[in-house]
Amino acid sequence: MNIHPLISKARKDFPILKREVNGYPLAFLDNAATTQKPKIVIDAITNFYENHNSNVSRGLYTLAEEATEIYESGRDTVANFIGAKDPETIIFTSGTTESINLVASAWGEKNFKRGDRIILTEMEHHSNIVPWQLAAQSFGIELVYWPVTPDGMLDMGMLEELLAKPVKLLTFTMVSNVLGSINPVEQITEIAHRHGVPVLVDSAQAVSRMPTRVAEWDCDFLAFSGHKVYGPTGIGILYAKKQRLEEMIPYQVGGGMISHVGKHESNWAVPPHKFEAGTPPIGQVPGLKAALEYIAYYGIEELEKHDNELTEHALNQLTKFPDLELYGPSEIQNRTGVVSFNLKNVHSHDVAQVLDESGIALRAGHHCTQVLHDKLGVSATVRMSFGIYNDSSEIDRMFLALDQAREIFLH
Amino acid sequence: MTKDTIYRDILLEHARHPKNSGRLKNPELSATVKNPLCGDELEMTLALSGELIKDCRTIVRGCSICQASASIMSEMIIKKSLKEAIKTGRLFDENLREDNEDVSEMVEPLRPFLVLKSHRSRIKCMKLAWDALEKCAHQDKSKTQT
Repeated sequence: MNIHPLISKARKDFPILKREVNGYPLAFLDNAATTQKPKIVIDAITNFYENHNSNVSRGLYTLAEEATEIYESGRDTVANFIGAKDPETIIFTSGTTESINLVASAWGEKNFKRGDRIILTEMEHHSNIVPWQLAAQSFGIELVYWPVTPDGMLDMGMLEELLAKPVKLLTFTMVSNVLGSINPVEQITEIAHRHGVPVLVDSAQAVSRMPTRVAEWDCDFLAFSGHKVYGPTGIGILYAKKQRLEEMIPYQVGGGMISHVGKHESNWAVPPHKFEAGTPPIGQVPGLKAALEYIAYYGIEELEKHDNELTEHALNQLTKFPDLELYGPSEIQNRTGVVSFNLKNVHSHDVAQVLDESGIALRAGHHCTQVLHDKLGVSATVRMSFGIYNDSSEIDRMFLALDQAREIFLH
Repeated sequence: MTKDTIYRDILLEHARHPKNSGRLKNPELSATVKNPLCGDELEMTLALSGELIKDCRTIVRGCSICQASASIMSEMIIKKSLKEAIKTGRLFDENLREDNEDVSEMVEPLRPFLVLKSHRSRIKCMKLAWDALEKCAHQDKSKTQT
């Protein structure tokens, strides 16, 4: 396989990739959990704290103006990156989890009534299941699961059937963090809207792997985390259509989200500030902004191509070994950047531990998808997931190192 | 393989051929515990004679560390009192938190697990069997209280 042009350029941007682990060069194949940070992101955060640090939207002095400008220009960059027309539809949160909790709580409170149904899928991360379970308990709503097919996809034919009875919300992941399946957002949104049902897209895994175009897709909500897109931890995004923002009550209350506070009652600021109570993740915003600009510099389409090439390479290798069981779609065009498998008769924890001894970082466990793992009939899987800096030789190293696991546990 | 590999021969031996594997028919105490990090599951059944543990069986759906721990533990606690068995587990807990490589004589068979000090996320795998024992003891306590 030819080396993708991205590698020779991008790899040097990441200081951490210079380090060794257990005497081997680090092969970081756990990008579905978090991504490494390019120097430009680290520098942007350092620069903020060294030169511009202040609280935002409050002070009148120079630093406060600069910090506010940096914070709000970050919002513009996010809007631009995800194809939102208006930066006021971008809410800064702490991550995907908080973004989804915000909708479940702030939109749910105003919209859910006892007996309402919401649809979610069997391939959701716990962060897109548990908030709805809590909402189900609080508001008496019913959770309806859209099943995963044996090939690790959503059965599109079944959606109309699920929507035949009234539904309040459809929430689904754009890319499965275990199966790597790509769910067709535009098509799903179109069908849901035809039934008058709003959709929430969890794009935590998708946003670094393929273009995001919220206005084109017409989705109602979209959530993702900064740290999975080469940005810092502690920051995430909730995009919500203006109409939906108007339907939401405050999520958390306190400073920064009010227009007036009296002794016994208060008025709220307008969105997005209405949903950003307290001091927001100010220092993280320039980091996220730099990360999104970094991706835009190389082009998200290039990242997508790179991801697909690595996935194809991994699948081609994987199918050569009869003792490896692959999970997820068999067709390459239905999946991206995440490849989960098991070495037969060896626990995934043991596999990951042995691989770490060769400097290979990947994840083992249920990856916060116990509902999906129950469906797959396994308690845990080994997962490799790719990023901009990975190349096929790292994947080859992983397959080679599996021999050590075979040696230890199967001989 | 690096020098501090956690897969010592003794642990692998126990993982491959676990001692006291299975389920007792009419156990005095039983407990099932799960590791929330990975979904691993361990079922323990205990036969008691008064305070004394007469027999112990475990069914493990888990990694080699979890398997080995259940196996070594079962060998250690049979013929001990439940109280003493619990004390053994807690003693090793303390050893895992200390900076040195010492272990109390009572928990010498657990020494191979000291390597987990530098693999903190695997301590939970090793602890699952001892958690099941704690759960059994807790039931025993509730029984005597009611």
